[in-house]
Amino acid sequence: MALLTGCIKDEAANAECDIVALDEAWKQANAEVLRGYERVENNEVTIYVADGTDLSAFNPKFVLTPGATITMKVDGQDVAANGVTRNFNEPQIYTTHSEDGLWHKDYKVGFDYYVSIDRMSFEHYELDPSGRYQVWYERDEVPSKDDPSQVKYIRHDYWANGNGGYALVGIAKKPEDYPTAAHEDGVNGMCARLETRRTGSFGDMVKMPIAAGNLFIGTFDTKIAMKEPRNATHFGLPLVQDKPVLLKGYYKYTQGEVFTDKNKKVCPERKDTADIYAVIYECDPQNFVALNGDEVLSSPRIVMMARINNPGEPQEWEEFYVPFKSFEGRSIDMERLKRGEYAIAVVATSSRQGAYFEGAIGSVLWVDELRVVWQLDDDADEQRTKMEQYLETHPDER
Amino acid sequence: MKQILIFLFAACFALNASAETLDTIRAARKPVKEADLNILKAAVKGWHVRLGAGFNIGGASPLPLPRSIRKIDSFNPTLCISLQGAVEKRFRQTPWGMQIGIGFENKGMKTDATVKNYHMEAYNADGSGKVEGAWTGHVKTNLDNNYLTFPVLVTYNFTDRWQMKAGPYVSWMFNGSFTGEAYDGYIRDQNPTGPKTDVTRAIYDFSDDLRKFHWGVILGGEFKAYKHLSVSLNLQWGLNGIFPSDFNSVTFALYPIYGNLGFNYLF
Repeated sequence: MALLTGCIKDEAANAECDIVALDEAWKQANAEVLRGYERVENNEVTIYVADGTDLSAFNPKFVLTPGATITMKVDGQDVAANGVTRNFNEPQIYTTHSEDGLWHKDYKVGFDYYVSIDRMSFEHYELDPSGRYQVWYERDEVPSKDDPSQVKYIRHDYWANGNGGYALVGIAKKPEDYPTAAHEDGVNGMCARLETRRTGSFGDMVKMPIAAGNLFIGTFDTKIAMKEPRNATHFGLPLVQDKPVLLKGYYKYTQGEVFTDKNKKVCPERKDTADIYAVIYECDPQNFVALNGDEVLSSPRIVMMARINNPGEPQEWEEFYVPFKSFEGRSIDMERLKRGEYAIAVVATSSRQGAYFEGAIGSVLWVDELRVVWQLDDDADEQRTKMEQYLETHPDER
Repeated sequence: MKQILIFLFAACFALNASAETLDTIRAARKPVKEADLNILKAAVKGWHVRLGAGFNIGGASPLPLPRSIRKIDSFNPTLCISLQGAVEKRFRQTPWGMQIGIGFENKGMKTDATVKNYHMEAYNADGSGKVEGAWTGHVKTNLDNNYLTFPVLVTYNFTDRWQMKAGPYVSWMFNGSFTGEAYDGYIRDQNPTGPKTDVTRAIYDFSDDLRKFHWGVILGGEFKAYKHLSVSLNLQWGLNGIFPSDFNSVTFALYPIYGNLGFNYLF
């Protein structure tokens, strides 16, 4: 052993090149416009600022893996970029380089406003940076400030899903093999197709024998996906500026045949069920903490909830309207609402107990054209009427 | 006894025969059948039979240790035994001789190491999925392989008691296991730039991927303590890795390197 220990080489320079966080001093210096929340992911950083903030000149400073450097391209040359002022009317690309010089990766860094989430069309998706699975984003059209006749697109990366965790078990060979995938048979254009899939022996080993298709507003923390899977799903973002009325959309569903529990034990008496819901919950926007998978339907922070109680198995697209109902007697406080102290999570999954690794492999939920209708929406009354008609025929959902 | 001796001789000879010489051997068999036993007796004259038993202490190690291995936290050579039969002939009027043998050997180890940015690939049980990435954390390894080994050694006698020997060996692994676990660390999917996932514990079993055929060199010394008993100390240095070179779960070759302390009965 002494012999072996003697042969150990000097530690290699770091091979990792992550943006670990935003620099604290920079955050302090920009506290006036920052909303105290940013998403730092493996290839992407989104920094939330107050609505209407001028994005044309920001100089974000990042904390990197020890020894790593960050650059940007100027006239084809890599130049140092940390703390350098750039125009963030469009997201900007940064490249991080590892200390050992062998690895680098691109980050897309963007600034975004907090605006209420409304329409979720599933038209916009792309492959993740590794090119293996799909990720969704929403795109708003807004008139350009400089020339109001022109429209400008604002991209919102607020959708998350568990595909990153499924990628690790290496079963999927193409994007369509993932639990959450885009599909062309939407009500309008594309839709999301969520399927509960097997995770193979690697999943069995860690008592996660299935992966339910899921899609939610929030973030997915791949880092803890294996250790604490329900802590890895961070449900919700502080994107609430109004009182919600209802959640509407389209879905169809097919149950998988064999329901199993987390030990892969067959439970013949149980049937799989889809889940589509939205919750509004209290938060501190300056220090935002999302609800995790254990508490997203039970936290005392929840104020309102809209959920399809009994989604059944419609084989054709079913249009639904479910009301936001007060949760355990709580209600939205207008003062808190003005201060931005509410967050919203919209969640869809092909197995209602999927977070606990219970469900049936082969359950498929199709979902499209989701929308949260807010009180101040122009067509709020019209939508309410449609909801009443829906509830007439679906008393379970009242 | 002679029959055993002939068998040993034939076995070793056949195993070391190259393809071109097989025909020669086949041709030679006929005369053996018909041959006068005396010729055989003469052929085996001067060959001495020996039986030995011993312990193997060592492990399978990458050479040199890759940078990704940061620390060997524990190493247990485990109890590995060897049993060997051999024939030895001393060439007349020289200190030189040769020794040919056949042996059963058990080679194992248990290690616990701390690694950083260690490239790994692992297939799931039915081969439908593959985990690949850069692992930083701890790795436990249990190796337990059984071999049939055929050494061909040149011997040199300094005195009647002291002998040195060296030569190649070939081994056939008839039974082996290479298992372990990766624990308390994180994997970065695909490579060091990929998403990071913390892992509490993941087990692995690469037993089916182990290489069956091994070869290497032996260098050793022997002390003849009594007329019929000798003590030997050999170093067995494997020259091919325990996994085939296209096996990617362990990206570096692991060479079996074992010391053998043996006790031999000389007939």
